[in-house]
Amino acid sequence: MQSRRQSIGPMMVVMCFVLSALRPSAVPRTYRITGQAQGTTYAITWYANLKSVTQAQIDSIFKSLDASLSIYQPGSLISRFNESETGIEMDRHLAQVVEKSMQIYRETGGLSDITVLPLVRAWGFGVKAADAMPDSAAIRLLMPCVGADKLKIEGSRLVKAVPCVQIDVNGIAQGYSVDVMARFLEAHAIGNYMVEVGGEIRTKGRKLPGKEAMKIGIETPSTTEFDAPGIREVITIGDGAVTTSGSYRKFRESGGLRLSHIIDPKTGFPVQREIISATVVAPEAITADGFDNALLAAGIDGAFEILRTHPRMEAYLIYRKPDGTVADTASAGFGRYIVPNADR
Amino acid sequence: MTTLDHSKPMTQSRTRRDFIATGLAAMAGAGLSAAFSPAFGQAVRPADRIRLGIIGTGSRGAGLATLIREMPDYELVACCDIIPENLQKGLSLAAQNAKGYTDYRKLLDDKSIDAVVIATPLYLHYPMAVAALQARKHIYLEKSMTYDIPQAIDLVKKVKASGLVFQIGYQYRYYGLYHRVKEIMKENWLGKITHFECQYNRNSNWRFPVKDPKMERAINWRMYREYCGGPLSELCAHEIDVVNYLTDSRPVKVVGLGGINYWKDGRDTYDNIRTVYDYPNGVKASVTSVLSNAYNGYSIRILGDKATVEILRDKALIYPEITNNAKGVVDGVTGATIAVTTQGKGVEVKFGKPGEAELEPTVFALKDFAECIRNKKEPISNVETGRDGSIAIHMGNAAADTEKVQYWKPEYSA
Repeated sequence: MQSRRQSIGPMMVVMCFVLSALRPSAVPRTYRITGQAQGTTYAITWYANLKSVTQAQIDSIFKSLDASLSIYQPGSLISRFNESETGIEMDRHLAQVVEKSMQIYRETGGLSDITVLPLVRAWGFGVKAADAMPDSAAIRLLMPCVGADKLKIEGSRLVKAVPCVQIDVNGIAQGYSVDVMARFLEAHAIGNYMVEVGGEIRTKGRKLPGKEAMKIGIETPSTTEFDAPGIREVITIGDGAVTTSGSYRKFRESGGLRLSHIIDPKTGFPVQREIISATVVAPEAITADGFDNALLAAGIDGAFEILRTHPRMEAYLIYRKPDGTVADTASAGFGRYIVPNADR
Repeated sequence: MTTLDHSKPMTQSRTRRDFIATGLAAMAGAGLSAAFSPAFGQAVRPADRIRLGIIGTGSRGAGLATLIREMPDYELVACCDIIPENLQKGLSLAAQNAKGYTDYRKLLDDKSIDAVVIATPLYLHYPMAVAALQARKHIYLEKSMTYDIPQAIDLVKKVKASGLVFQIGYQYRYYGLYHRVKEIMKENWLGKITHFECQYNRNSNWRFPVKDPKMERAINWRMYREYCGGPLSELCAHEIDVVNYLTDSRPVKVVGLGGINYWKDGRDTYDNIRTVYDYPNGVKASVTSVLSNAYNGYSIRILGDKATVEILRDKALIYPEITNNAKGVVDGVTGATIAVTTQGKGVEVKFGKPGEAELEPTVFALKDFAECIRNKKEPISNVETGRDGSIAIHMGNAAADTEKVQYWKPEYSA
């Protein structure tokens, strides 16, 4: 008897706690989990009666993404591919990202190419900053390793044509991670949420209990690599994703010129285009994130060319005019997302 | 630059034309010196070197001589100092047949001398500068400019009337680090700036060894008000000038407190002083010197609502403010990825041109002095900026001495 009473006491306390935690509150609340992952910050916000997702779960998903896709992790799957002679067996994350990347490579005429890693490194945007700027001879030497046509997917295997082929999925992995998190929330019956990882966003539903639309600010390009962002436009996208690629935050200065971190895979040199920032709205973040760099690299005319063949994608572009002033332009369908000033 | 040019054929051809042009100019130059010099029949003064004398070859004067020795612009032909060891040191760094003087007026009498560096205790700056102007010498006068306010005002008049080049030894005005910081401020990296925190601290008695007790005041003149303004005129002078330079202004008023609270060794200049200068638009600058603590000895922190810049001896770091951006207006922000590594941590300010040699800032100041003499230009650190610095220093000391607010009077800069 004695021992039984002792064990029931704490158990009843635990049960009460669990019951109160599981009991839906009358009014939906805002839940938010924030943290750091993938070298940047993330914020996951949802509107529900119940906190059904924990930070530990979110962080463990980020860990599994890093273990697959991070070039900053020496033992990651992607790092192992880069070190391999012929290729490796892919996991689910890498397979989806590579497949999508190959599709975007074909649909942008090679402007978006995950095999640019050797060039990214040479220009000092890799894991380590380069000591000096590469010359054209050094770049020419790397070009035989570059080109997504040197990659092949054979079943679940990713195969390289030459051992020096190395891939970098940083341009698309954040968007993919946003989708993974969104699917995770939906699997937990969360229908009103915003997932944001390093400025790439996916939203669904509305803010509860007021049923307001979720507002997303499009950042004003800043002059420094650490500026607190200002807001240029405010949009609402309903159920979908929005990502932004900007050459304004990550750059190196050389001889008074700013070198963009986005490398043109065809020339091997940093992209020197008039577009400073490309914001893309698409149904999924992997699509938006996969295309935003390509739009930036394509220039205004090239970007609209790509958008014409992708009717489910809309874009907002901030660019520098020849006289140095900054202007913006957008695809025809983008206007419906913009929140008028009066409603902000 | 050249690496990028290869991607653009047009730029490449322009670069090549430039190269041809400069190549020709260089060849022409070489040809001239070889072909024309003998035709004139007499040895040209080696590449028009400026004949220079240094008055005061103590620690700073000898330091300048060490730099000048390496510079093709100058020939150091005369030194002057009342202390034999100092004079010896100066001459050892000068040209082979350089002359040594103990009376600076004799040095100034030498008509073959084009310019003088004056690196003597502060109280001697004014009489020596005036005498050098009368002797028609261009002048590089060490900071700070004058012992008191009337001297500063009078020297402006005398220099302007002379038409001679007159530069004050505020070398940071010539240092790429400060140019870059000023640019960053203009580009609004720091946002609205309301405060500068300047300190020039050291943990030492700030004395030089004295063998003959009779020489105490001559050697350790920094300890005595009779000769200088103490830490404010001898250390913080640079920082006051930097704030003037970065804000393109001068103080409106100043409060201060000072004391001799640690080195009770017979000195009468402060070893612990803090002043707060008020600049136009409410910008404040605290200027401090503590001689019993050396943490970050020399530092200027510029406080803006977007970021802080901390300037140290030979580098500067930016610390962005962590602001919760436009949250409240929007639920999320889409933008280029912000790296977490730069949040809350110092980012080093890059300055200087790629491949440019890292030189002692004073070398850039001395180079510009030569340039101003050759091309009759007004130095960036000139008699008016020097006056503004000196008056600010004296106001700061007066504020601490009287414990009363000191105001910039209109006649100071009339």
